[in-house]
Amino acid sequence: MRRRHPLAHLIAVRLLQSVVVWFGALIVCFVLAAAAGDPADVQTAGQLGSTPERVRALRDQLGYGDPFLQRLGHFVAHASHGDFGTSFQSSQSAFDIVMRALPSTLLLVGCALTIALASGVGLALVSVLRRERVADRAIRRFLAVAQGIPDFWLATMLVLLFSVTLQMLPSIGFDGPDGLVLPTIALAVPLLPPFVRLARGSLLDVMKLDFITSLRGKGLSERDIVVQHALRNALPPLVTFAALQVGWLIGGTIIVESIFAWPGIGNLVVEAVRARDVAVVKAVVAVVAISYIVLNLAADVLTALLDPRIRVARA
Amino acid sequence: MSATTTVETAAASRPARLRSARQTLRPNRSLRAGVLLLASVLVLSLVGVLALDDPNHQVLADAFAKPGARGHLLGADPLGRDVLAWCARGVWTSLEVSLAVATLAAVFGTAVGVVAGYFGGPLDALLMRLVDLSLAIPPLLLFVSLSVVLSPSRVTLILLLALVAWIPYARVVRTRILAERERPYVAAGRLAGTPDRQICIRHLVPAASTAILVLLTLQLGYVLLWEAGLSFLGLGLQPPNVSLGYMVAQGRDYLADAWWVTTIPGLVIVTLMLSFNLIGDGLRDLFQDDVAVGGADGR
Repeated sequence: MRRRHPLAHLIAVRLLQSVVVWFGALIVCFVLAAAAGDPADVQTAGQLGSTPERVRALRDQLGYGDPFLQRLGHFVAHASHGDFGTSFQSSQSAFDIVMRALPSTLLLVGCALTIALASGVGLALVSVLRRERVADRAIRRFLAVAQGIPDFWLATMLVLLFSVTLQMLPSIGFDGPDGLVLPTIALAVPLLPPFVRLARGSLLDVMKLDFITSLRGKGLSERDIVVQHALRNALPPLVTFAALQVGWLIGGTIIVESIFAWPGIGNLVVEAVRARDVAVVKAVVAVVAISYIVLNLAADVLTALLDPRIRVARA
Repeated sequence: MSATTTVETAAASRPARLRSARQTLRPNRSLRAGVLLLASVLVLSLVGVLALDDPNHQVLADAFAKPGARGHLLGADPLGRDVLAWCARGVWTSLEVSLAVATLAAVFGTAVGVVAGYFGGPLDALLMRLVDLSLAIPPLLLFVSLSVVLSPSRVTLILLLALVAWIPYARVVRTRILAERERPYVAAGRLAGTPDRQICIRHLVPAASTAILVLLTLQLGYVLLWEAGLSFLGLGLQPPNVSLGYMVAQGRDYLADAWWVTTIPGLVIVTLMLSFNLIGDGLRDLFQDDVAVGGADGR
């Protein structure tokens, strides 16, 4: 029997799992829609001249008169083509609305992640080089506090300090790079503790390995060992984690976006929930789930490419 | 003879064990600091609840009263509700919700984890896919989208949060059970004819108990944040429920004139969260049980 390529095998297994997760996410969307009740009732409620006949006509038009399983099949078939129905607020395709909002969310998430990653690795390096000394303890204490700061409170405090008191930066909106500063910070700070903790743990694991001892024996300074040799080996778990965080953040920016009136999908979903616009909510959940799945897949492949041991062990 | 010796050693070792417990606890500053912080918040808020007026009581004449104003030590909100009374009661609301969610989640998650880990099979496969799914939809997004369907009340909120919160327990317990069921004592128990149920409840659950405890403590903090976040968005608890997140949102539009309405309840949340994290980290060190590396909040 011909030996399968290990990486191809890994990708195949993950793809299969992704399909299962994707299907699960679609079912969540569908249950959401089914439990939200009949959109024909919601949309015609309180409207002038909403006769039972018109409600029934709308219901048939939306496909809500069909049996349950038929509706599920119908929904999955349409959702696979990116069709989640029409937003009744704007009469546009819900999927198009979400895709239009996605770039601003991605911009925000990208900035926050870059800053969190850079400062997280920096803090972890300091923490490892000054292990059990003042700097290390200070960093760990700071993280313990940062872990407990709610993002909505941090965001409002930033607005209070920089927009209201110092009047340096705008508190809402999307015009120019100035508007990006506060939401990025509000999003990046809660990310720091897990990043630093992971980078620190990973670095300390690498520092126990034999090649570090031999580098010490060669007379390299601790700083050169950590920065030039240990760091590169400590990165793979961080890459995986960062990729997962992107998927997470795309749906996790809800609060920060709604505070800064950021025109992304987090703000969109809150507005849609308030208006009971189920089609848009479904589309947001599906888009977030699929971006998570894609990123997860990418992270796995990237990790395997970075670290041959994983490639062999998993195959 | 040997039986008496065992009994004597057990009796003699009891004070020794207590002493060693005290010695283990002494260097664990994180645990002590956390317990101390939590206890002081609880005592202060209990005094506040008992001594102060009903937090929902609105005195419109006192709206925007500054901290230190007569009758309002920490000021009043735009509707003339006392911030201090609100925070004192809010601490207890947060605790009620967090404890209810975490307990429900721990019980259900442990049961699923034990069954999946011990018996394996289709349930195990289903569980692992559910875990994947729960990772693909961030909790807050799920809560927000489900509130399209649900009307906000305390019970629905607790059930909604528990819907996500049980998954880390199932995951952690399953891993523990997988390792534990290969140990000789489990095989011995099975050979002796102990029913599976008894092996699970009497032997396997205790083996995972420290992990569950650490997870529970860390999770209390995250559930608190979820509740506060949802209430902040107006999708969680609404008055007459007294939620800290709700008060933070009340002050949002008046930051320039009444900073205290937002700042003070937020500080209370930070303090509570910090105390739970300190206790959780302390317990983790104490048991040498590194379970919850990013597990408690579902990441």
